[in-house]
Amino acid sequence: MNSGVWEEVGCAKLWNEWCRTVDTTHLSPTEAFCVFYHLKSNPSVVLCQCSCYVAEDQQYQWLEKVFGSCPRKNMQVTILTCRHVTDYKTSESTSSLHTPFLKALKTQNFREPPCCSLLEQPNIVHDLPAAVLSYCQVWKISAILYLCYTDVMKLDLITVEAFKPVLSSRSLRSLVKNIPQSTEILKKLMTTNEIQSNIYT
Amino acid sequence: MFVPCGDSVPDLAGCTLLMPAVSVGNVGQLAIDLIISTLNMCKIGYFYTDCLVPMVGNNPYATAEENSTELSINAEVYASPSKKLVALQLRSIFIKYKSKSFCEKLLSWVKRSNCAKVVVLSSSHSYHRNDLQLRSTPFRYLLTPPMQKSVQNKIQSLNWEEMEKSPCIPEIDDSEFCVRIPGGGITKKLYDEGCSKEIPMVILLKFVSEGDNIPDALGLVEYLNEWLQIIKPCCDDPSASALPWKMPSSWRLLFGSGLPPALF
Repeated sequence: MNSGVWEEVGCAKLWNEWCRTVDTTHLSPTEAFCVFYHLKSNPSVVLCQCSCYVAEDQQYQWLEKVFGSCPRKNMQVTILTCRHVTDYKTSESTSSLHTPFLKALKTQNFREPPCCSLLEQPNIVHDLPAAVLSYCQVWKISAILYLCYTDVMKLDLITVEAFKPVLSSRSLRSLVKNIPQSTEILKKLMTTNEIQSNIYT
Repeated sequence: MFVPCGDSVPDLAGCTLLMPAVSVGNVGQLAIDLIISTLNMCKIGYFYTDCLVPMVGNNPYATAEENSTELSINAEVYASPSKKLVALQLRSIFIKYKSKSFCEKLLSWVKRSNCAKVVVLSSSHSYHRNDLQLRSTPFRYLLTPPMQKSVQNKIQSLNWEEMEKSPCIPEIDDSEFCVRIPGGGITKKLYDEGCSKEIPMVILLKFVSEGDNIPDALGLVEYLNEWLQIIKPCCDDPSASALPWKMPSSWRLLFGSGLPPALF
């Protein structure tokens, strides 16, 4: 989003028990939401930033609202998500894996080569990313899910950098400027978060 | 709703639909996995629904690099046209309060597709057995009225035991008796809907406990095979080992990843 001019075009509001209220003066829960932006220079490119947990009994309705009015033909969907490495099943111990690492799952209609290896059996994906990918598979939409397995519980530079290969993919590279400088740009974006999380101040 | 993989809707008229109930030990689902894997059934469509928790993964029946990259979702339909068999596999649990809706949608689809019969593979908690059940075979069957006439003789020749009725409310002495399937998930709902909608349906279940339920799944498919003869023994030698059921590649690591060496 740092590379272009994005305009907010809508949001999907929902509430569930996982939503944390940001308003501490009013104790009733506020509505959490997913915000949609489109690129001003090319409005057919839409980005969704989902900062809330979409519960399992809300996922189907979320999909119908978001995708229901989109034309399915020629649509391409890219999903980026993270999981803790302990979710990853492998014959070796997960403590011996080099984290973070990227894995992909794609629908039948996705023709490009993925930026990383595919998620091996018997690993599976749940929650909203799985709901979106299922929808795309059933309705024959080209879609790919990039899943980063990490060993940290909060945002950190190393985990975000694991997504760098995705920025060079055919569908996303035209949206991203200054890929060589991306580490510096990410550091600046991350600094605000780190100051806030310093428990000693 | 059923969404075909290809452009046309496959003709399921006269087919036998095999499906699992998500039940104790996931025995029904493991059994369906065995059937799909052994018969090398091909995917013909998805049962796209808001009633099941979404999940995705790569092809659970992959045998080689080439066929390992096909995406699978939580409810898929497979077919073996030569055997007139169709299998519905369910891979996740029901969303709260949606199981009845699922049964209704499923059985409406079954009726519209003109399937000859539905076979539900399920299980029930073994600790709920009464003294008689403890001493007998762990397998049970149930038939809806439309099935009773057509298969009763065959079932009797196999010496199968029908699921017994038990007190609806065990705490009350003169409680009425009804069929109860504790741990059976939607099995009872499917059976009741099957009876009221006059759907030819057979329930086959095994009394099991949670644990390594692969042997239970093998037992259940062998029980089904006694009747439907899905696969035949590879040779006539009666002392030969059991039928060649093929375990799918997705059954790897059922109990988690490898252990850290430092643990020892």
